[in-house]
Parts: sequence; C-alpha cells; structure tokens
Amino acid sequence: MHALPQAPPASELWTLSGGLRLAFERRAGPGFAFDLRLPVGSAHDPVGQEGSSGVLEEWLFKGVAGRDARALQDAFDDLGVRRGGGVGPEATRMGVSGLRDDLGASLTLVADVLLRPDLPEAELPVLTDLARQDLDGLQDSPPDLLALEARRVTFPRPADSPLAGFAHPPSGTLKGLEGLTADTLRAHLDAYGQAGAVLGLVADLEQEAALSLVSDALAGLRPGRQPQATADFQAGRRVHVTDADAEQTHLSLTAPGIAPGDSRWLAWQVALTALSGGSASRLFHAVREERGLAYAVSASPVLLGGQGFLTAYAGSTPARAPETLEVMLAELARLPQGLSADEFRRARSGLRASVVFSAESMRARAGALTRDVAVFGQVRPLAELRASLDALTLESVNSFLAAYDPVSEITIVTLGPENV
Amino acid sequence: MFRGGIEPLTHVLPNGLTLLLEADPVAQTVAAGYFVNTGARDELPQEMGASHFLEHLMFKGSERLSASVLNERLDDLGGQSNAFTGEEATVYHAACLPEQTGELLDTLTELMRPALRESDLEAERGVILEEIAMYADQPGIRVIDELRADYWGAHPLGHLILGTTQTVGDLSREALTHNHRARYGASRVTLALTGAFGPEAVLEWATANLADWPAADAPGVEPPPIPAFPARVRVVPDPELSRVQVALAAPGLPVTHPLREAAGVLADLIGGENGALYWALLDTGLADSADLAHLEYRDAGSFEGGFSCDPARAQAVLDIFRAVLRDADALITEPAVRRAARKLAVSTLLRAETPQGRLFALGMEYLATGRAETTPQLVDHYAKVSTGAVREVLRLCPLDRWTGVALGPLTELE
Repeated sequence: MHALPQAPPASELWTLSGGLRLAFERRAGPGFAFDLRLPVGSAHDPVGQEGSSGVLEEWLFKGVAGRDARALQDAFDDLGVRRGGGVGPEATRMGVSGLRDDLGASLTLVADVLLRPDLPEAELPVLTDLARQDLDGLQDSPPDLLALEARRVTFPRPADSPLAGFAHPPSGTLKGLEGLTADTLRAHLDAYGQAGAVLGLVADLEQEAALSLVSDALAGLRPGRQPQATADFQAGRRVHVTDADAEQTHLSLTAPGIAPGDSRWLAWQVALTALSGGSASRLFHAVREERGLAYAVSASPVLLGGQGFLTAYAGSTPARAPETLEVMLAELARLPQGLSADEFRRARSGLRASVVFSAESMRARAGALTRDVAVFGQVRPLAELRASLDALTLESVNSFLAAYDPVSEITIVTLGPENV
Repeated sequence: MFRGGIEPLTHVLPNGLTLLLEADPVAQTVAAGYFVNTGARDELPQEMGASHFLEHLMFKGSERLSASVLNERLDDLGGQSNAFTGEEATVYHAACLPEQTGELLDTLTELMRPALRESDLEAERGVILEEIAMYADQPGIRVIDELRADYWGAHPLGHLILGTTQTVGDLSREALTHNHRARYGASRVTLALTGAFGPEAVLEWATANLADWPAADAPGVEPPPIPAFPARVRVVPDPELSRVQVALAAPGLPVTHPLREAAGVLADLIGGENGALYWALLDTGLADSADLAHLEYRDAGSFEGGFSCDPARAQAVLDIFRAVLRDADALITEPAVRRAARKLAVSTLLRAETPQGRLFALGMEYLATGRAETTPQLVDHYAKVSTGAVREVLRLCPLDRWTGVALGPLTELE
C-alpha cells in the first residue's frame, strides 16, 4: 500500500441513546461542515399523498421557535453559513458549513427546524402551489421528463405497498398534492427522528466537545421511523415517449448492478469507471470521441431500496439517436469480455485518486461520512479503502465481469420526436 | 487549510508567459490550470463559437500524441481534468496526487499544443452541434442567450459562447488555426498551480519547457463596450412551453472597479437566497424562481436576473420584480449589509479550502485584474463592505431601467 502524505485522520462513530448515529472526523482549520441525513424521502410518501416529503421540508423552514421564516433565514445568514441538502427518493438531508465557532449555533438552528417548527397552515396552499409549478416546469425540460418517465417505467410501485415509491419526483404528483393537509403532513413529520438518522461532522474539535455539541442540540429529537421502499425493477422494458418539440432524443438505460454490502461492489465500481469514468472511458470514447454522436453520455451507479443499479444516459439529435443507442448497448454488451490491463490500471488509479479528492474539503468529507454510515453501516477509513482497491486484480475484476451481463435485463426508455 | 496568507509567487518568462504559484505543503493534492486571456468576445461575428470549438479541439491531441493517448494520460492523473470557455477567459485545468505533479504539468502542457487535425474536426463539430441542441432544450438558457444579444447589441459580449449551428457548421480548420495562433500567444497565458508542490522545481521545469511557447500580439486596447441596452421587454413566443421565463439586464461595474464587492453585496440583498426578490416572489408563491446577480467583465459589468412563473402571472410578477428594484435603496441597512457581506466573505474563505477551489479564484482574479491576491485579502474585501459603498453602487447603477426578454406561451408583456 502506498502511504498517504500524512497519517489519515481517525474517525469516530457514536450512537446516541435515541438511535442517531454521529460520525465525526477531526480536521485542522477554521471551518466546520456537517451533513444530517434522515432516512425519509419522496419514496416514503404515503400513496395518494405524493409530495409529502418535498412540501414538508419546505414547510419546516416557514418559522421555528419564535422566529418567522425570514428571521430564521436571517439567523442562518448572521452566521455566514452555507446551507445545502434537500429531499431525495430515500432521504432528507440538511447540511451546513461555516466557521468552527458557529457550529453550536448552526446545530441548534437545524434542531429547531426539526423539533420546534411552527408549521403555519396559511403557508400550505403556497407551498403545494410551488410544488405544482415545479411539476409544470418539468414539462419544459426533456431530460428531466425522461428521468421521471424512466423511474415510472423501471420502478413502479408494488401493488401492495402503502408507500408511493420511486415513480414520482420530490414535488409529488398533481393528484398527490391535492391530498396533502396540515394533518397528513404533521403525521408524516413523526417519521423524521433518530431512527436511521446519521450526522457526519468534520471540525477541529476534541472528540468529547463534538459529541457534546451534537448531543445538546439533537438528543431530544423524536424517535422517528425508518420506512423501507422496495425498488421493484422491471427488466427488459422498452418504452418511447413522444415529445414532438424536443431538439434531442434522450436515452435512459437501466440495468441491475451490485448492492453496497456485496463482496463484488468494488469490482463493479472499477468496471463502471472503465465504462464511464473519464475521457478515455469506453462510453465517452465510443460515443463522443470516435463518432461525435453526443455531447452528454454517461453511466453511473444508483442505489435504490438497498440494491445497486447501473443507469446510463445520452442525448442526441433525432437522426443520430438510433446509432447512439446501438453504440451504448454494444459497449455494455462487451463488458462480460472483461477489461484490458490498461483499462483496469487507469480505472483503479482513478478510484484511488478520487478517494483523496472526495475527502479534501470538509463539506465533501462530512457528506462522505454520512453516506458511509447510511449505506455501509460504518465509516470506511480512507487507508483501508485504498488498500482494498490495491488488493483488486485484473483477474478478479474480469472474473466478476464474466458473469455480469447488464444488457440481458436492460430496460430502455427514450423521449424525443421519433421512436428510436 | 486556509493557510494561504503567503503572497502567491508571480514569475514572467522572457516570452511573456506568466507563472502563478501558491504552494501549500500541507495540502493533499495539486491543482494546475492554463488560464488563457481570450474568449468569445474576441471573435468575429461570422466565427462565433471559435473559442469554444478550439477548447474542444485541444483535447484531440498534439503532433506527438493522439487524442486517445492524451485522454488516457489525463485519466491516469485521476480524471479531474476539464476546461471551460467564457467571454474573456478559456481555462484548461487538472488535479492530481502530489507524486504525479510532473506528469500533470507534462500532460496539461501537451494539451496546450494541439495538432488541430482536419480529421478530428468533423467528429468534434458533431459533438458541439449536439451541445447546442442540448441547451436549446433548456428554456432558462435560451432566455439568457436572447437577453445578452439584446443588451449588448453588436458588441461581442453578446455573442453565444457555443456559436450557432450556422457558424459552427462553417468554421474551417484554417479559421480555427488562425484564431489559435492569434489568441494563444505566451503573453495571454498564465499557468497557475496551487496545493502540494515545490515552486522551485516548477520554475525550473517551466524555464526548460515553456520557453519556446510562441509569442503573439498582446490583446489590443479597445474602448469599453457600450451596451445597446434597449429599455424594453421583448417577447419570444413559444406556445409549446408551459412556463414563462423572464430575464433582465442593466448596467453594473467592471471587475477592476473598487466597488465590485459592494456590487456583489447589492445583488445579494436584492436577488440572493435571502434577498428581497425571494421574499416578494418565492415566499408568496407567485414565481418558482427569482434572482439577481452582478456579472463582471474587464471593462464593463451588468446586473442580470430574472424569474420563471405561470403564464397568467407574468405581468404581475414582472411589476413586482421592477418595484423591488426601484425600492432597492430601502434594503441597504446596516444589519442587512453586514449579514450579506459576512456570508460572501465566509463562502470566499470556504471555497479556497481545496487546491482546486483556490486555483480558480487565483487564476481568474489574476486574469481579470492582474493582481495575485491571497485568500485573506479576498475575504477582507467583502468583510469591509459598508452601507455607504453599497449606496454608492446604487447611485452609479440606479437599476431603474432594464432590458428584458420573456420566453414562453405569451404574446405580450410590458
């Protein structure tokens, strides 16, 4: 194993008595960053109330603990902090970064948002109408519309599930938004608590000081729930959505992948990097460099319902789209034949470098700590991760690939003026 | 982290190429970029898109390396390389682990010596035409393109950076080679490095490897652009869209102006995440986006903003948008300015946390102002912004007259 320039910082993982997990890493510097992940997202919206998670997240910020919406925003701005986060299919995240002395105050503000929101009912019609405007806006964006259609086709809701699942965006559906009331949203908020929640934190603090700041702010968080939505992959579907005015035809491909806990996970990551990890990668080279068929072409891993999937996207003008699709499928189809020694070396060194790059900024590292705990159940030490990458061999990756044939089960959804 | 208090080292080679080195021995990575003082505003109208086309062609290999080998070498560095083209700057950058600094410099420099092969031109033309088509599917981009053409009129600051299907279709190898020769001379080029590297070794490498960089004429001095700035809202009807996009522009301050940070604070008070437009239009649900930013060029500036909303609400939203701007003076209070200035200061500091983040601040500032300022200096400019300075910006740029474009399912807007 190659040595890092400095000893990698040690991280700590604590579980508060209520269940919230705190992953902390000490880092020199005047800043701090944290990323709080609550395991409730749009996939967990109740059936008939699609949009619950998206609208609730906005509602939480409309006033807390004696501050109205504007005073709350001013309080964040007085600290000069940068806020991030939002609602995804499986989680709601609240991230803050700023100067270390403002960490305690920032945690308190976020705790106020979750624990002491005013939830003013007069704001609800405005928020559901904003979600409706967002859904209208999707109609004007072919790539977003395709992503939505692809989810609908590829991951429909299992008939017996009380959860709405992956087939709608965080803004919900027009019908679902009509079903939202102050009472249904308050009931939905009960799920937002310590169960399954993870806070990743990076700052230059003693461990005890970090733990006590987080405990003081968040130990009182309600118990919460950790709902599980099932990603019911539909293999072999082929759907075209006609959009007569689109300039390009947009292509979405989804195939089974490898789950994060699986021993083949890293080999799959190497294969995806060789497929789409840089300007010499297979998709970029075959579609863009060699044939000039598209500007945007990529493949990436997606985790849904604890499973891994491979998704690929490209956009080409209608006359060229059939060839683009053909080339993409051909590249996926030759994965079982394995990588060359050069491809393997490049992909592995790219992943090794990305381990360092992704840990460089406090904000990125806080996000990675949270993701590690949420997805892998533990913080993966950087040195260990590099060692596991070093332990991979071309033979091990190729023996994995020999049995990995994404095309056999691929689902293809396209959107554009003509069927592909 | 945030050490960065040491003056960056500036060194000009005999041919005029500038080195800008800010070493940080505690960093985990190295970032490097060639910042070229040229962009879309240097183009002839019939060659619109040439700067961006050249940027793409640089990745197609040199006389010594094919495109495939060049791309493989870039990926060997860890896949952190990219490039972008603006109105006044074209930037090629990459980052790597410290032990690969030599390869980083060699590969990035090889990229800057393109062969511009005829055979590579056609495939890349296809890629760029696809890029144009991709943006044509994004109404928020279309409306800004239309706005800049109206606001700047005949001045090339109104050029489309990607060009049009016509101009990109027509660009010949000869025209591109000519543009490259004229606009990539040593005096227009700055190589910046940040992160974990030894400046002496880089200076030595540069002296040996960059001395033969061809010189070319320095950019000519031209009078500051005078925007056409028509005081109207032009409607671009598109009945297929479901929402209306409106974009507006008015004069601002150039990047060299001592009040540029104060202009940024004014834009934040009006159109930032906690600005007056947010509370007037988003908090009320009248629009689903509304913002304002201050854009800086070397000898001009503009305030640019806009909103998107339901077609039926477009007039009402525009009226409120204008009223917010008209009453901007009332927003300039002591606590509001302090809050906005602090937010901008902290974000300037946090962006400099990684070598890649710091690289862009250092290189772009140097290209625009000729100054190599430290992060604490950049932060200090924001921290010091006073209400008086923000008022002065509003006096210089009264925001009472606008050029606007509305795109969507509508036929008129006043």
